[in-house]
Amino acid sequence: MSMKFSTKNFTDRTKDNISDDFMRQAVAGAQERLHGRRLDAAEELGNWEEWRSHGEEIRQHVLENLDFYLHQLSENVSQRGGHVFFAKTAEEASNYVREVVEKKEGKKVVKSKSMVTEEINLNTVLEEAGCEVIETDLGEYILQIDDHDPPSHIVAPALHKNREQIREVFEDKLDYKNTSKPEELALHAREKLRQEFLAADIGITGCNFAIAETGSISLVTNEGNARLVSALPKTQITVMGMERIVPSFEEFEVLVSLLTRSAVGQKLTSYVTALTGPKGEGDADGPEEFHLVIVDNGRSEILGTEFQSILQCIRCAACVNVCPVYRHIGGHSYGSIYSGPIGAVLSPLLGGYDDFKELPFASTLCGACTDACPVKIPLHELLHTHRQIIVEEEGRAPISEKLAMKAFGIGASSNPLYSMGSKAASTAMKPFTKNERISKGPGPLKEWTDLREFPAVGNTRFRDWFYDQKGGN
Amino acid sequence: MKVSLFITCLVDMFYAEAGKDMTEVLERQGCELSFPKGQICCGQPAYNSGYVENSKSAMKNMIKTFESAEYVVTPSGSCATMFKMYPEIFADEPKWKDKAQELADKTYEFTEFLVDVLKVENVGAKLTGKGTYHPSCHMTRLLGVKEPPKKLLAQVEGLEMIPLPNAHNCCGFGGTFSVKMGDISEQMVDEKVDSAMVTEADYLIGADCGCLMNIGGRAERTGKKIRVMHIAEVLNSRE
Amino acid sequence: MTGTIQNREAFLSGIASQLGREQKTQVKKPIWKHQPQRAVLAGASADELLDVLRKQCEHIHTELIETKLADLSETLDNAVKLYGGGPLSLWKDKRFEEYGLMQLIESDWPAENIEVHTWQAELGGRNVELAEQANIGITFSDMTLAESGTVVLLSSSDKGRSVSLLPTNYIAIIPKSTLVPRITQAADLIRRNIDKGEQVPSCINFITGPSNSADIEMNLVIGVHGPVKAAYIVIEDC
Repeated sequence: MSMKFSTKNFTDRTKDNISDDFMRQAVAGAQERLHGRRLDAAEELGNWEEWRSHGEEIRQHVLENLDFYLHQLSENVSQRGGHVFFAKTAEEASNYVREVVEKKEGKKVVKSKSMVTEEINLNTVLEEAGCEVIETDLGEYILQIDDHDPPSHIVAPALHKNREQIREVFEDKLDYKNTSKPEELALHAREKLRQEFLAADIGITGCNFAIAETGSISLVTNEGNARLVSALPKTQITVMGMERIVPSFEEFEVLVSLLTRSAVGQKLTSYVTALTGPKGEGDADGPEEFHLVIVDNGRSEILGTEFQSILQCIRCAACVNVCPVYRHIGGHSYGSIYSGPIGAVLSPLLGGYDDFKELPFASTLCGACTDACPVKIPLHELLHTHRQIIVEEEGRAPISEKLAMKAFGIGASSNPLYSMGSKAASTAMKPFTKNERISKGPGPLKEWTDLREFPAVGNTRFRDWFYDQKGGN
Repeated sequence: MKVSLFITCLVDMFYAEAGKDMTEVLERQGCELSFPKGQICCGQPAYNSGYVENSKSAMKNMIKTFESAEYVVTPSGSCATMFKMYPEIFADEPKWKDKAQELADKTYEFTEFLVDVLKVENVGAKLTGKGTYHPSCHMTRLLGVKEPPKKLLAQVEGLEMIPLPNAHNCCGFGGTFSVKMGDISEQMVDEKVDSAMVTEADYLIGADCGCLMNIGGRAERTGKKIRVMHIAEVLNSRE
Repeated sequence: MTGTIQNREAFLSGIASQLGREQKTQVKKPIWKHQPQRAVLAGASADELLDVLRKQCEHIHTELIETKLADLSETLDNAVKLYGGGPLSLWKDKRFEEYGLMQLIESDWPAENIEVHTWQAELGGRNVELAEQANIGITFSDMTLAESGTVVLLSSSDKGRSVSLLPTNYIAIIPKSTLVPRITQAADLIRRNIDKGEQVPSCINFITGPSNSADIEMNLVIGVHGPVKAAYIVIEDC
């Protein structure tokens, strides 16, 4: 799957998803639970704002000095016997991985959850090369066996599916005979996947944070699948977005603390693993060969622009979990593997406005995302910046809207015009007004009154009352 | 204390009553009120839609209009937030930046002004029944005014406040979002109305007329019986 | 042997030019303005840290067993039996000897037909197979993080990654003296070792309870790919 996974337009996708009652209930329930847990975890620390500020300063420093830290990282990975490949494009990245797999004559590939490998369409490339690719994160596994259903959440990819749907998929594809109890489903996946882990030649992981000073990569999971992927196969390939790096363990631990608290309200997840190079001399487990693929794929073009702060993102999904729009439309409406507020900012940057220009408008700019972000990305401001570029620079707005906004600029700065307009409005709206309400508005009001009553324009404006009572000034 | 009212275009045209209530509450606290004539709109509708350049003339008009004001008080957290953003919007226009900063510094949302400047929490209001409060997004998150409305409402005689479930979720107004993304807005406002109904409150109280127009308009259309009130109206109740 | 690095120069110079400057070859890390992590449980005594660990274990589905050094052997034996006995997979770790467990490992368990496999680097992949077949994996904790309830395991040729991962159950032996406030101190230790010229272990695991997943309807399932159950045995050694 590449970043974009739908050919339908935004309106149609949204309509489809709004009618999915289970999905909406699941999302609302998950949001409420995760929101509560995140707040508890933050509150417990007592100085969450200071933590956020620290996270922000670390991420900002890294981005300002990204070339240096990537250089240091690659040197240290190489020192420890690992291979580093810098990939400018998605194709370069996935082709390199394919070449490594082919050279090792790999047939079976186990993968732990990684958004960037989705972004570079890696599974398809490997499958076309004749490999069997197995996702091992439980959520990703469910989606994969369900004919590659796209993820709807960057942390909980199968959030939109209910247990009965999952049971049916298991029955259909895995010959599963048990009930839809999550424990039984998970046990079945454990048994199936354990065999795959033991038989796999290649393990592919993402990377939560790379650590420049030591040349380490890190994996944060609860299931333990990333540990298996990196402990058992002979060859490990780790794919990382180029911005997912920290200077040293000192900053690493802070960002991990922010990540696990913000994502799931845990102080640490069950497993946080820092891996450095291939296995050590004499080690009996761990990969013999280690490759690190560092992916640009449009990220460098964000550096140095007003959108740079989006690269601070640590993929915790706290913004997704508080977004009132995501709450009702779910992840699939975004048409991108990156959904929610982070997706609405990032997808147009990585994938272009042609496919994703509606996303920045699918927000009330309520600021919940900005508030929740553990590294202080001003998400709603970036959404606004997109809007500005889309309408002012790209000119991608309906003519009627452009004219209306131009008229606004004139009307809202000229008192005589406003006065005339606001007074005339009362008269003009008279035919539509009944019991001080407008239920079927004309022109642009129609969209409003399709859903809601609109208040009648008062006969007396506040200003008229005030001058009348208190005299003008 | 001399206070210049920034009434907002919504209140001026549609919710004059809320404006009158605010006027009376402030006067009772001894404020000397004025209404600078030149005021129209803070520019937010165009600004938030991405039309930054088109919105600047409206903003400059507001900066000029309130230039000589001592305090600027408004019955909208959202419009107050817009004033607070002016300095950044005019960051590259030195001629306007400082004036924008002056305006931002002396602007207060109505409840914030009562509690933080006038230091009053009990305004002598009386209203019998149950109320629930919707904290508007811009007011709470961007302006940072969270507690003042709650403190004021807690002192209203006869009013029992019930917490609104999922109060932190946006009502789905979002200015032009409410008409551009009607399908989504509908879901959001329905949930907000439903949450309010769950509380069995008589009044849904808010401090921003945009949100109230959205929630109230939807409640009315769907036949939900709850009275939507601006907080000024509650604070001016003397029943 | 050093590994290869491909396409680096073009990639990094592209970044530098986007940032509007020359490529950097030296960067001094700033003194961070905020360091909230240092304040967490600062100055807490070992007893206070143990208290924090005890409470945290309630949240991470992990049984915490406290014991005196003299009773360790019996406590471990009981825990092993509670989890269904062998086969067992152990690190090769001189602490088993230092804490008086060799009698149990070398005599008592074999006498009861409890199969014990101690990691032996020279057996290579066979270690992994044995760990996979084991019912319980047992390791010491190299450092223990009170705040999160985490054991830190530094891998080596004697301390395989699989022991804490492949068996159905996992027991960590925690000398109370290994308790520190939080992951901050683990990061400090790792950095101190680097300063001393040591290599970072190829694998460092921060383990917090058994494996779990909430991927199905947000329902928590304990035991997914890693161990299904986890227990910590804390020894009063300070």
